[in-house]
Amino acid sequence: MKSFLGKRAIASAISLIGLIILVFFLSRLTGDPTNLYLPVDASQESRDRFREIHGLNDPLIVQFFHYMSDLVQFDFGMSIRRAEPALDAVLRAFVWTLQLAIITMTLVTGSAIVLGSLAAYHVGGFFDRIATFCSLIGASAPDFWIAIVAIVVFSVHLGWVPTSGTGTVLHWILPIGVLFIRPFGLIVQVVRGSMITALSSAYVKTARAKGVRNRPIIFVHALRNAMLPVITVIGDQAASLLNGAVVVETIFGFPGVGKLMIDSILQRDFAVVMAAIFVTAVAIFVMNILIDILYAVLDPRIRY
Amino acid sequence: MPLKISRISATLLATTIAGQVLAQESVTVVLSEELENVEPCMAAKSNIGRVILQNVSETLTELVPGAGLQPRLATSWEDMGGGTWRFTLRDGVTFSDGTALDAADIVFSLERNKSDKFVCETGAKYYGGFELTTDIVDDLTIDITSDPAQPILPLLMSTLAVLPSESNPDAFVDQPVGTGPYTFDEYARGQYIKLSARDDYWGDAPTVQDATYVFRSESAVRAAMVEAGEADIAPNIALQDATNPETDYSYPNSETVYMRIDNSTAPLDDVRVRQALNYAVDREAFIGTILADGTLQATGMTPPSTIGYNHDLSPYPYDLDKSKELLAAAAADGVPVDAEITLIGRLENFANVTETMEALTSMWQEAGLNIKLQMVETAEWNEYYSKPFVTDGRPIMVEAMHDNANGDPVFSMFNKYGSEGVQSGVADPKLDEMIATATAATGDERQGLWEETFAYVFNDIVADVFLWHMVGFTRVNERLDFEPSIKTNSELQLSQIEFK
Amino acid sequence: MALSEQTFVADAPPAWVSILRMLWRDKFAFCAAVFLLVVILCALFGPTLLEDIATKQNLRGRNAAPFDFSLHWTMWLGGDALGRPLFARIIVAARNTMFIATGAVICSMAIGTTLGLIAGYSSRMASQIIMRLADVIMSFPSLLLAVIVLYMLAPSVGNLIVVLAITRIPVYLRTSRAEVLEVRERMFVQAAQVMGASTNRIVFRHILPVVFPTLVTIATLDFAFVMLAESSLSFLGIGIQPPEITWGLMVSQGRPYLTTAWWLSFWPGLAIILTTLSLNLLSNWMRTALDPVQRWRLETPRQKNA
Repeated sequence: MKSFLGKRAIASAISLIGLIILVFFLSRLTGDPTNLYLPVDASQESRDRFREIHGLNDPLIVQFFHYMSDLVQFDFGMSIRRAEPALDAVLRAFVWTLQLAIITMTLVTGSAIVLGSLAAYHVGGFFDRIATFCSLIGASAPDFWIAIVAIVVFSVHLGWVPTSGTGTVLHWILPIGVLFIRPFGLIVQVVRGSMITALSSAYVKTARAKGVRNRPIIFVHALRNAMLPVITVIGDQAASLLNGAVVVETIFGFPGVGKLMIDSILQRDFAVVMAAIFVTAVAIFVMNILIDILYAVLDPRIRY
Repeated sequence: MPLKISRISATLLATTIAGQVLAQESVTVVLSEELENVEPCMAAKSNIGRVILQNVSETLTELVPGAGLQPRLATSWEDMGGGTWRFTLRDGVTFSDGTALDAADIVFSLERNKSDKFVCETGAKYYGGFELTTDIVDDLTIDITSDPAQPILPLLMSTLAVLPSESNPDAFVDQPVGTGPYTFDEYARGQYIKLSARDDYWGDAPTVQDATYVFRSESAVRAAMVEAGEADIAPNIALQDATNPETDYSYPNSETVYMRIDNSTAPLDDVRVRQALNYAVDREAFIGTILADGTLQATGMTPPSTIGYNHDLSPYPYDLDKSKELLAAAAADGVPVDAEITLIGRLENFANVTETMEALTSMWQEAGLNIKLQMVETAEWNEYYSKPFVTDGRPIMVEAMHDNANGDPVFSMFNKYGSEGVQSGVADPKLDEMIATATAATGDERQGLWEETFAYVFNDIVADVFLWHMVGFTRVNERLDFEPSIKTNSELQLSQIEFK
Repeated sequence: MALSEQTFVADAPPAWVSILRMLWRDKFAFCAAVFLLVVILCALFGPTLLEDIATKQNLRGRNAAPFDFSLHWTMWLGGDALGRPLFARIIVAARNTMFIATGAVICSMAIGTTLGLIAGYSSRMASQIIMRLADVIMSFPSLLLAVIVLYMLAPSVGNLIVVLAITRIPVYLRTSRAEVLEVRERMFVQAAQVMGASTNRIVFRHILPVVFPTLVTIATLDFAFVMLAESSLSFLGIGIQPPEITWGLMVSQGRPYLTTAWWLSFWPGLAIILTTLSLNLLSNWMRTALDPVQRWRLETPRQKNA
């Protein structure tokens, strides 16, 4: 295990550096930010001054070396747009995103596994049909529908929860509720499919034949076997939450990293784009390492 | 697992503060975008100006809709000749940090506005093309000289936020200090901004004691927040969300939508083709449907309340036959009227922009023009809109929305129509001359000259397709006594708000 | 191999008859198949038949409410923000929508699965490289990718598919690789190894069938995701641009009207939901009809014949 972690850490660090280089050069291909920051009527003199101040006149490779030498000291540069260190902006937003992602995925994982397994137990039964229908509709409905309808119903008409924003525990209910739906629908389906296979597999049948009548035991055994694809898909969904839940952030005014990233990309605020990708990438890499460890825990036959 | 749950609930509790309850004398304003910074010299950007201008930071003069230029921090000003204006400052004004306002603060603010450490929006937008020098006469008197002379220097001073000379000259401030009726208390990035009333303000004490600004980009949510009583004012809600006449005010928002035509490429270099483009648009049909009731058909680049706006011009009527005739005549002279014309639209420029552009495209196609619509994001749009234009030899029209809330066409005309103007699609020596003369003139003469210039652009060279002067919607909570105006687009003075 | 399949078809009643029979037995799957058939027909013939009606504007009939049966049948689902008939537009949009969604989902699934199988069944070095590449793609924001593609290449439907496909590769890759790690330790695979089966054969004949159902489940739901994600990239000017339409674009164009004219985004959204639902029901039926465990058992005697 130790050697696995060591190798894995090195490989991840290398790909992180690769990612940084890739993003640095590719993002610069998307144009000069000068015109986006200055009023349309700005004179050439102001434009030149802006480029000079932000080092945009240097050759790209020089800008790159400046960037990397700062990065070694963990300095991600200043955000042009926000006039604050890029990393401050990103970390502040990421803390919100991380909380949202952890809470949502915990709820999703728990409920989807229970519901998906129950659906798989009686394939084609009434419960299975209902669970499948609801989860599929949830997973394929546009998220902003659910968000706006939820605001109109629960906040404006019923007045149970605030429309949007942050501040109290109540403010979290709608964003989490909306974010919950798509991963939930997807994971219920994956659990269901995986469990159908596991429950019909030879060893579960053997166990039953041998007289293990205890349903929970059969369940736990089958589940353990069915978990590999489930964990992978949970990881995939968690990664997309860590990259930012843009629709939820936009509608509920939730100060997460997704909208920050989009605004920074559209505004060519490269320092923030780089810092945001760096932070989310670290989180995603760590999560993937945990998932790989979990594979080996669940199925001791898996070796790396 | 229990450990995890308790950690999560701890996080939840940690972020819990008292719920927002709308208290008497407090207002909550829900803005459409977060403020990227709170630097007063960036207040020419409407999202920043709405929070800072005249609330935290004040200006020497103030343009009041319907009343013209009024004193604010300056009590009077006079033209000393030779491009010099003398401003007399109000006595007894203090900044929220306790220091007194004096002439040195004005000098500092002007210099900072053109700093070489950063680029200020106000400086870049309004203070280009001339040099300003200052001369402190005494603590409360200052001479400002511009070269070349600016007849509208007092008007320009209505854009300059005054900072104390103790402010950081090298970087943006994140805790602005000003002379205004409110102090800037806190900016929790991504969440809210809080202002509260000062008790040592030089003017009348405002009714609103504190204000919270929050940010929601979805118009429907902003409208819902006022409806649910979570917010008091929601500037900029979309037409389709302004459904309640009791709370939703419409007002001209000083924006003008037009098609910038590159007059130098065929077939757009032919005046008949440009006339045909104008005749083929049923401007009326948009109003009350895709665009709000109260939208005005435009004949010029600035809103009708601007000095020198030519009220005698009437919009091109919708006349499809006339349009086709003009095109046929041009075609007979060998103008390639069937060439594909690219129409560049800017995504998210105003509510319903895509629908508007689609509808315009089909109107022009109806007239027999070969129009291809391309909607692009702002960064790409800039490449088409500002010089050097991206053309590749193609005929191109660019949809643009221009904002001039400053009451004088000088802020628009040079850049939009001068041969050297950054967004100008025309190069006409006579027009250059007219703009230069009008810019230097004063009083009634200035007004007459601008009127002539507007007429020349509209009737003679038919430079562009003017479309509409837009209106905005603001939803105001019924407990407030507040009516938005044309200035609400760029500033929102809390001191003007009363409770019913 | 080709020979054994022919024998199978010759022995049984005609394959399509038995498939139809099995389909008829599952009424949900049958409805799903019919619905998908209708969508495919719309995609094939819709644009030719209804293009003109679908682009005809009528500003005064803007946001016309649905279920006004006195109007032309194309207006029964209401009119959009420019007064164009929604029903006709949904039919016309089926082509672009299905083309993009199918293209993106199939590309990402094919590439992702192949790479995942390689990563799971080849040297540690190759596996490590592929997996870290997947990490990189996973943390690369799709919007940035879209903006970059937009600036380097001309906006086109093909590029849109590329962007969407790339962003969805990691989930297939990671899923198939995780399954391979487990399946390759199973008894039957080890048995095949002992018997000297080639790697290709083990991967494609033994491992892929076990992995496949999970991938199909993900893919059917990805259909919905891709249809909606496509519209979120449209706002950058990449891919489908008005007056061209897709369901996703219609959904997002209806967004500002959700509280005042719900039908603008509801009908195209419903089309997306029904398509996804149908695909999923059909794939669940296929899983039952062609259970991989069963098939493996069925295939063994035929291998002897070959």
